[in-house]
Amino acid sequence: MLQFLVKRLIGFLFVLIGVTFITFLMGFLAPGDPIRTLLSEHFRPDLYAQLRHEYGLDLPWYQQYWNYVTHLLRFDFGLSFKEQDRPVWDLLKDGVPTTAELGLWALFLQIVIGVPVGVVSAIKSNSWIDTLNMGTMLTFFAIPSFVLAALVQVAIVWLDINTNLGWPVANWGNAWQYTWPDIQSKLLPILVLTAGGMGYFARVARTSMLEVLRQDYVRTARAKGMIERVVISRHALRNAMIPLVTVFGFSLGLIITSTFFIEELFNIPGIAQLTVTSITDRDYPVIQATVVLLAVTVVLGNLVADLLYAVVDPRIKVQ
Amino acid sequence: MDTQDKNPELASREVMLPDMVPPPVDLLDVPNDAAVSIVPGEVIAVPSDLKPKKSPTPLQESLRRLRRDKRAMLSLSVIALFIVIPIFGPFIYQHIGGLYQSILNGQIGPGVYHNPFHQELDRQDEFISAQYWLGTDAIGQDLLARLMQGMLVSLTVAALVEVVDIGLGVLVGVLAGYFGGWIDQLLARFTDLMFAFPGLLFAILIVGIFGEYADTYLSNIPLIGGNGNARLILVAFALAFSAWPMMARYVRGQTLQLKEQQFVEAARTVGTSNARIILRHIIPNLFSIVVVAATLDISNTVIGEAGLSLLGLGVRLPGSSIGLMIAKALPVIDTYPWELLLPCIALTTIVLAFSFLGDGLRDAFDPRSKDS
Repeated sequence: MLQFLVKRLIGFLFVLIGVTFITFLMGFLAPGDPIRTLLSEHFRPDLYAQLRHEYGLDLPWYQQYWNYVTHLLRFDFGLSFKEQDRPVWDLLKDGVPTTAELGLWALFLQIVIGVPVGVVSAIKSNSWIDTLNMGTMLTFFAIPSFVLAALVQVAIVWLDINTNLGWPVANWGNAWQYTWPDIQSKLLPILVLTAGGMGYFARVARTSMLEVLRQDYVRTARAKGMIERVVISRHALRNAMIPLVTVFGFSLGLIITSTFFIEELFNIPGIAQLTVTSITDRDYPVIQATVVLLAVTVVLGNLVADLLYAVVDPRIKVQ
Repeated sequence: MDTQDKNPELASREVMLPDMVPPPVDLLDVPNDAAVSIVPGEVIAVPSDLKPKKSPTPLQESLRRLRRDKRAMLSLSVIALFIVIPIFGPFIYQHIGGLYQSILNGQIGPGVYHNPFHQELDRQDEFISAQYWLGTDAIGQDLLARLMQGMLVSLTVAALVEVVDIGLGVLVGVLAGYFGGWIDQLLARFTDLMFAFPGLLFAILIVGIFGEYADTYLSNIPLIGGNGNARLILVAFALAFSAWPMMARYVRGQTLQLKEQQFVEAARTVGTSNARIILRHIIPNLFSIVVVAATLDISNTVIGEAGLSLLGLGVRLPGSSIGLMIAKALPVIDTYPWELLLPCIALTTIVLAFSFLGDGLRDAFDPRSKDS
């Protein structure tokens, strides 16, 4: 167990260093001279040299990288190019709760809907329920999130025109508040973001459950006359849940990629939308900051999944 | 255990053909009339099926299984259309239709008004007609011509990405699996690192930062540079770079298994060099896993390119891409939903076709994987 933990933590550190180095390198190689952007067309050479020194851009790359990492640890992502003298974190901090809310709801619903659907499919395997469940789930998994979002919007617009439903199409209420108008605007984006990962959870849950139902101990439990409901809930289900922990990391990645489209299409003021705007504005520090934030979130999510795996699977403790 | 092993001809040849991996067990493949009931004293007629004949190779067996999979075959024909339409479609489409007296452009033929970049500003947002087979968009461009151009872009990016994906994935995967050691360690660390940038995150970072370089330096390249396509190579590179570690991981796993097989051991015993073992014995046996992984990856690549163009990071106007068509149709969603539905349907069809074909190929190459 201890060996497993140490190994994972070392891997985690290595990935963190790699991720920060890649984002640092991107900023290092980004086109344009930030100081030149900061000063306008005409500037004094001595002022240019002075600013360059103040921002630490005259240092060798490894010292710049060290500064970058130490600043990151203090949530200092540098200054925005576009809105001069404004820290990047200032721009980002309003978007973070919104994106987190969107993503966490989607992750929650994926597990709450996807897993039971997959389990029911496995119990009723090869029946029409299984075919219907898995057909729906795999379609949700295969359709790109932005296509699903666009189709949902077409449907809502059509309903709004032809009935007096008045459902908001592309809007977002206040972060973490749930009055009726908030729920109305948040429901559809969250559901669309849920769809992809939900299909994946259902698929893995079905496979894992089928695998467990084939095991000898399930047959033994049935043979000694145990009620089917107890066999499934006590013997099969618990063991079938173990591999699902590994889906967690993959699903987090899927959510983060889809967030870019959902926030763009539904006009949600999160950090993904801010990133896309920053790309058009060539505000590189903002792009670097969001990518680092999201990548670290993924790495942390994977670490948590690994640790959870060690907790729920007793075989790892023994090793 | 296996119908193939009972064939004496094959059994004797097996030693000389070390490449032969035992074909997967498929009990359903035994012909029904093979079970002949034997009555004592009766002359047994040997059914023609049991007479020795040239047995099919594992690849032929797999293709036969694939041909019976209706969904995979349907997907294959959709994919054939996806390749043929954007390459030959525009030439044909630009020769169909009569002369048109345009108010703004004078008398023009189909070569002009069926051109994806031509605007007919008084014919905006039209529905399907004889002149415009799939209608026109908000600036009077032919939607079918735009769609074919967009599919060509998807096809180009998919081809570029798969070349890098397969080349790099197989090279690194085989070396890591066969030799292990530092290259294996390096691959493992690198894969862990790339998994921190899930899906499009890496591509968004690369294109977001270097898009400006691409606009400046790559827009003069003929064919794939001009007409707003300057970022295509960058998009393809970014997508390939985040795709190949997965391919390398699959290849590594398969190589590890193959390395332990008897035919590799036999080859090593007779003094075959490592390079020759890899080229003649390992790589040919990676065929199935690489084809399946690449097919499934194309689906991700097509989504990736469309998504990046939708966000304004890939193909830009006046170029055309399926993602760009979606982005352009979003503002008119309430009045002309058809303009949005068309690219959505096209993209979903292509993506589903590659996913289904990938699944079908996996089942065909390894029938045991079917129920998992």
